[in-house]
Amino acid sequence: MNKRFYLFTLLMVAVLLMSACSPAGTATSVPTKPAATDAPVVTEAPTEAAPLVLKIASAAAITTWDPVKSFSTEVAYLDNMYETLLLTNPPGSAEKFTPVLATSWESNADGTEWTFHLRPNVVFHDGEAFTAAAVKMSIEAIADHGGAAFIWWMLDHVEVVDDLTAKFVLTSSAPIDWIASSADGSRIISTKALTAAAADPNYFEAPVDAGTGAYVLESYKADQEIVFDRFDDYWGGWKPGQFDKVFVQLVTEGITQQQLFDSGQVDLVTSIPKENVATYKDNPNVTYDVEPSFFNYLVFFNTLRPPLDNVLVRQALSYAIPYQDIIDIAANGLGTQSRGPVPQGVWPSSPKVKQYTYDIAKAKELLTQAGHPGGGFTLNMWYVSNNDTIVALVPLLKDSFAQIGVEVNLVPMLWGPLWEQAKADPANAYDINPNMYWPTYSDAGSDNLWSLFYWTKSPFFNLSFWKNDAYNALIDEAIAKTVTDPVTAQAKYVEAMNMLVDEAPGAFLFDTKAVFIIPKYIEGFKYNLNYPFVPYFYYQLTSTK
Amino acid sequence: MRKLEFILRRLVSSIFVLIGVSIITFALSRVVPNNPAVLYIGPRARPEDIARVTKLLGLDQPLPVQYFIYMRDLLHGDLGTSIATKRPVLQEILDRAPASLELLFTGMFLVVVIGIPLGVLSARWQGKPVDLVTRTISIVGVSIPAFFLGLVLQIIFFRNLHWLPLAGQLNTDLRFTNPILPVTNFQILDALLTRNWVALKDTAVHIILPAITLAAYPIGLVARMTRASMLEVLEQDYIRTARAYGTKEFIVTYFYALKNAISPTLTVIGLTFAYALTGTFFVEIIFIWPGLGMFTVSSLLNIDYPAIMGMTLFGATAYVLINSIVDLLQAWVDPRINLV
Repeated sequence: MNKRFYLFTLLMVAVLLMSACSPAGTATSVPTKPAATDAPVVTEAPTEAAPLVLKIASAAAITTWDPVKSFSTEVAYLDNMYETLLLTNPPGSAEKFTPVLATSWESNADGTEWTFHLRPNVVFHDGEAFTAAAVKMSIEAIADHGGAAFIWWMLDHVEVVDDLTAKFVLTSSAPIDWIASSADGSRIISTKALTAAAADPNYFEAPVDAGTGAYVLESYKADQEIVFDRFDDYWGGWKPGQFDKVFVQLVTEGITQQQLFDSGQVDLVTSIPKENVATYKDNPNVTYDVEPSFFNYLVFFNTLRPPLDNVLVRQALSYAIPYQDIIDIAANGLGTQSRGPVPQGVWPSSPKVKQYTYDIAKAKELLTQAGHPGGGFTLNMWYVSNNDTIVALVPLLKDSFAQIGVEVNLVPMLWGPLWEQAKADPANAYDINPNMYWPTYSDAGSDNLWSLFYWTKSPFFNLSFWKNDAYNALIDEAIAKTVTDPVTAQAKYVEAMNMLVDEAPGAFLFDTKAVFIIPKYIEGFKYNLNYPFVPYFYYQLTSTK
Repeated sequence: MRKLEFILRRLVSSIFVLIGVSIITFALSRVVPNNPAVLYIGPRARPEDIARVTKLLGLDQPLPVQYFIYMRDLLHGDLGTSIATKRPVLQEILDRAPASLELLFTGMFLVVVIGIPLGVLSARWQGKPVDLVTRTISIVGVSIPAFFLGLVLQIIFFRNLHWLPLAGQLNTDLRFTNPILPVTNFQILDALLTRNWVALKDTAVHIILPAITLAAYPIGLVARMTRASMLEVLEQDYIRTARAYGTKEFIVTYFYALKNAISPTLTVIGLTFAYALTGTFFVEIIFIWPGLGMFTVSSLLNIDYPAIMGMTLFGATAYVLINSIVDLLQAWVDPRINLV
C-alpha cells in the first residue's frame, strides 16, 4: 500500500513537471552574459605587462547599471562612465560651472529656454558620435521614466537645433545649468543604447556601458568587484601618470576597508570607521582632507500626532536637543550645527537663518506654556538602524528629552519598512524620526525645502506631514524667481527657512563634513561637495609611484 | 531494490518538504512591512513611479496569486529576478556558488582530515595528555562563534604576523598580471588546470583563514563524536580478540574499530556540511569571499523577495540532498542499516 502511494505521488509529480515543459506565463527577457567556459584552456600561465591600476575599496552598491533609472549609490561609478553637459564647481570657485559636454550656454530673459552649444568630436564608448540628438533622447528619457525624473518637472521638450546645439524648452523658469549638471538625472547616453533599452527594460543590466566618460566598464561581479578600463578615445586626452585601469573592490565593512588601506592592498577607500579617522591626522604618508558635504541630519516631528501638533511642544523639544554633543559624539566632531534644512554652502543657504540653542530651562518653560508642565508624555522614535550616525545620536536625544520629562521609546527599523509605514498611515506612525538628507543637485531650495516640508497630498519626504499654505506659497515664489531674480528668490527662501525654525516641524541637527584620507603618491584629488556620492573622479587622479 | 525504494521515498517526501519551506518563507518575507518597489527604483522615487513598479513586479496581486505565479515559474526553472541586482536569481546563485562550494569543500576537507584523526587519537589515548589537548581543541572549536574566530585570526595572522592575507580570493595585482582563465569557475582548480602556479599559490593562501574559520565548529563536533563512538567500539569483544591475536594496534584502531565507529560520525559530517552551507554567510562577510553568503545577507537586509526565496529553496534542497546522501553512505558503510 505504501509503495503504491509513493508511486502514485511520483506519477502526479511527473505529470506536473511535464506540464512545466510548456512555455512560461510571463517570460522576463534578460540579456545573457557570455559563459565563462567559452574561454580557451591554456597550458601556460600567461603573464601580462602590468598596467597602472588604481585600487579602491568602496561600500557603494549597484542597484542598476541603467543610467536613466539610476538614483542610488551606483552614481559613484556611473559618473565616471557617463558625463553631463556641465559640472557644478565647489563653492568659492572662480566659475560656477565647468563645461563638459557643453562648451557654452545661454538662456532667454525669463529662463524658459536654454540653449547649449555642444563639444565637437566626442564619441560614446559604443562608437557612436555625440550629437544634440543624444542630448534630446537622454534628457527626455530621464524626464519620462528616470530615477531622478522629478528634477525635470518643468521640461516641455528638448529641441535639436543642429548637430551641436540643443535647446531646452520649459513650461516655467528653472536653473537648467544646475539641473543639467546634476549627478543623477542628467547623464548623456548614446541613442543606440537608448533605442535598445526602449525595447528591453533590462538592457543595461548585462552590463552595458553607453557613456562618453574617461573610463569604460570592463567587467562587473555583483557584490565583489568592478573593473574600469581607460577610454583611449576620451575627448579630454591622457597624460602620463593617469591610471590605465581602476579596480573597485566592493567592501561594505569600514574596518575591513581600513585594514586593506593600511596594508597597501588598496590605494583609496570610501568609508573608514568615524572613530578611527582621526588616527590619520598625523600620518606623514597621507593627506588628511576635511571637506564640507551635502549631507545633513535632521529630526522630523510628526505634526499629526498630539502633543506634537502643538508648536510650543515642538519648540520645547528643539531647545532640548544637545546639538554640540551630537556633533561631538555621533559625528566624531565632523559637523557644524545646521541653519535650517539647507546645508551651508549650498544654494540657498544663508547665515540669516536662525538656530536653536541647547537650553533645558527654556524647553521646560515652553512645555509649561503648552500645558505640559514637567513633560509627562511618551514619544515613539523610529530610526534607521543601519545608519551609524543616527544610531549614535538617538540615545543622546532620548537622554536629553528625559531631562524635560519626555519619555522616548526607541524603535529601530530598516529604511524601506519605516518609509512605507510612515506614508501608509502617518497618523499612526512615529512621533519623531531622525533622518539624513541631501539634495539631488545644487539647488536645495527646490529640493530640500520642497521635498522635506512642502505639503502635497501624497507625502514625498515631508515626514513631519506638516501643512502650511504660507510656506508652500513662499517656496512656489522662490522657485519661480530663482533664474530671473535670484536675490528675491534667496530672500523668499530665507523667510521660508526661518518659518521652519519658528514652526519647528523638524529640528535641524548638523551639516556633515567628509574626511578623505589620500596617500601622498596620489595627486589631483579635489572633492566637490556637489557630487557627494562620487568621492573620486578617476580621471583627475594621477600616481607618482 | 531497497536503495531504489529509499531514493523514491526520499524524493517524494523532499518535494513536500520544499513546498512547505517555500510557503513558510514566502509568508514570512511578506510579513515585514516593506515595498520592494522602493528597492527596485531607488529610495527617492516619486509615488507614481513606485506604483508603476509595484504593478510591474506583480506586487499588487493578492498573496496567493503571487505565490502561485512564483511556483509556476519555479517549475520552469525560473527563480525570479532579484529586485536589487535586476539579474535572474538563478544566475546570481550559479555565479556565486563556485566560490562558496570551494570554501565549503576546503572546510569539510579540513573537518575530515583533522576532526576524525583527532577523535581517534583522543579515544586511543584516553586519559592521557593527548586526550586532554584534543578535547580542549574540540571544546574551543564548538564554543567560539565563527565571526569572532574569523576576526581574531585576521588580527593574528594578517595584522600582527603578516603571514596570511586579510580577505578575498586572489591578490588584486594578480588579476591583471596572472589572471586565472575560467574553466570550472573554481579558482584553485582552474589555476591548477591552467598551470597558473603563481595564482594557484595565491588562491591557496587566501583560502586558509576562511576555511579554518568555517571548519572550527565542525572539527570540534566531529572530533567529539568520533571519540565517543571509538570509545564504545574499542570496548567490544572482537577488538580485544584482535589484540589478543597480536594484530598491530594501527590496524585494530583504523581498520577494525574506526570502520564500525564511523557511522554516527558520518551523520554528523553530513549535518555539519549542511550547517556549513549557512555558516559560510558569516565567513564570507568577514573575509569578503564572493560567494552565496554575501548575496544572501544583502538580500535579507534589502528584503529582496525573489532572492530570499531562491536562496532558501537552494539551502533547503541542499539539506535534503545531503541528508539523503549521508543515509546512503551509512547504509554502504554498515550493511546492517535498514534504509526502508
